[in-house]
Amino acid sequence: MSDFLRIGRRKLVSLGGMSLLLAACGRGSVQTQIEQKLFELSDPLNRSFEQLLFSSQRLAPEFQRQEIEPEALLVNTAEDFPPQIDPGTYRLTVGGLVKKPVSLSLEEIRKLPYRSEIIRHVCVEGWAAIVQWGGLPLVELLKFVQPKPEARYVFFRSAEGFRNSQGELYGFYETWDLASCVHPQTVMAYEKNFKPLPASNGAPMRLASPIKLGYKQIKWVTEIMLLAALPEQLGYWVDFGYEWYGGI
Amino acid sequence: MTAQATPRKPAIPKQALAAKAFHWVNLVALFAMMGSGLQIYNANPVFGGRAGYHFPDFLLLGGWLAGGRHWHFFFMWVFGLNLLWYGLYVFFTRRWKNRYAGKNDLEALQKSTNPRRRNYAVHRLVYTAFIPVLLLALLTGLGMWKPVQFGWIVAMFGGWQALRTVHFLTIPTVLGLMAVHSLLALNVGQWKLVRSMFT
Repeated sequence: MSDFLRIGRRKLVSLGGMSLLLAACGRGSVQTQIEQKLFELSDPLNRSFEQLLFSSQRLAPEFQRQEIEPEALLVNTAEDFPPQIDPGTYRLTVGGLVKKPVSLSLEEIRKLPYRSEIIRHVCVEGWAAIVQWGGLPLVELLKFVQPKPEARYVFFRSAEGFRNSQGELYGFYETWDLASCVHPQTVMAYEKNFKPLPASNGAPMRLASPIKLGYKQIKWVTEIMLLAALPEQLGYWVDFGYEWYGGI
Repeated sequence: MTAQATPRKPAIPKQALAAKAFHWVNLVALFAMMGSGLQIYNANPVFGGRAGYHFPDFLLLGGWLAGGRHWHFFFMWVFGLNLLWYGLYVFFTRRWKNRYAGKNDLEALQKSTNPRRRNYAVHRLVYTAFIPVLLLALLTGLGMWKPVQFGWIVAMFGGWQALRTVHFLTIPTVLGLMAVHSLLALNVGQWKLVRSMFT
């Protein structure tokens, strides 16, 4: 029996050692190298798998009005304060590879088709909230500007910025694949929980969709561009290391 | 006559190469999944939200949330595919027929007075229990990764928070099963039996 206990401890120590070794791999420059390698190996596989599962026509589950969780939706901004945009002078410009580039006021956007949906918003951090978004389906806006056949990706620019230690402002931006943009539940939202969208959630207009993680749903959108290929800068969080596709 | 008088040495246990490979890959993948999983957990703890208990750094893998996700999604494939080929191996070699705990083991636990038979039955129950728990970890993980594409998984567990809780609880369950499995193996075959699974 004593033999049994002694070996038991040794086994436990070796298991502990293995986890420490793995944990040590998880930090410092070695960590960055290994993590980068693992990401390079698995991200293409993950992305193909995600795109294989995805259908532009299959709808995400929608919920009842009483299931909305008003407190669960947390506010995340890159800056300490959300941009304050005057809805009266706000304009959304849509350009790039389109036949009919436009610059729209909020009033003009409100006259375009409207969709309301109560969906689960899932954050990369792990939390989720059932929330209502109301606004212009992105597919309708795309039909309105008539994308050229070579357009495959969509670039979004936000009014939000990020300041470095010198106080310089860096842009906040995001890119999406066209298939996800034409999904019927992807909307340019100006309404949250049946009320006008608050500034902290991206007023006057944000991207909202149940099919992508929260960090892909860019707020305070001011400009949309259609592109043939992905630019070098993919998105604010993506350029920090989050996966680009981010589908759920 | 003289040959019968010499005491017999206990046989050195031998394991199939496939069983060894499965054990190694599974052990490494599980610890990598746990370390990176706790890294992801810390971004917004299942219990208590952002203000909830955060696990200390030495248990974490990946450095930050995106890094933890990269480790987790890489080892998700290692872990899942390892489980798959193990399933195929057990199926095609027909080991499934007598490898796992069955009615006779439950009966032995109730009726048998032979301590070795009882011990054996417990051991078979423990390692049989690994299979549903590991599959549960995979299923709940898939539901969290793709809650839209696999909405039925989220619905099956009754909601998002319940899904996260079950996924998290597979960690202590697997660790517990691992401890009991190792201790029982040590009890039956000492260190050399455990070693034979890995070398």
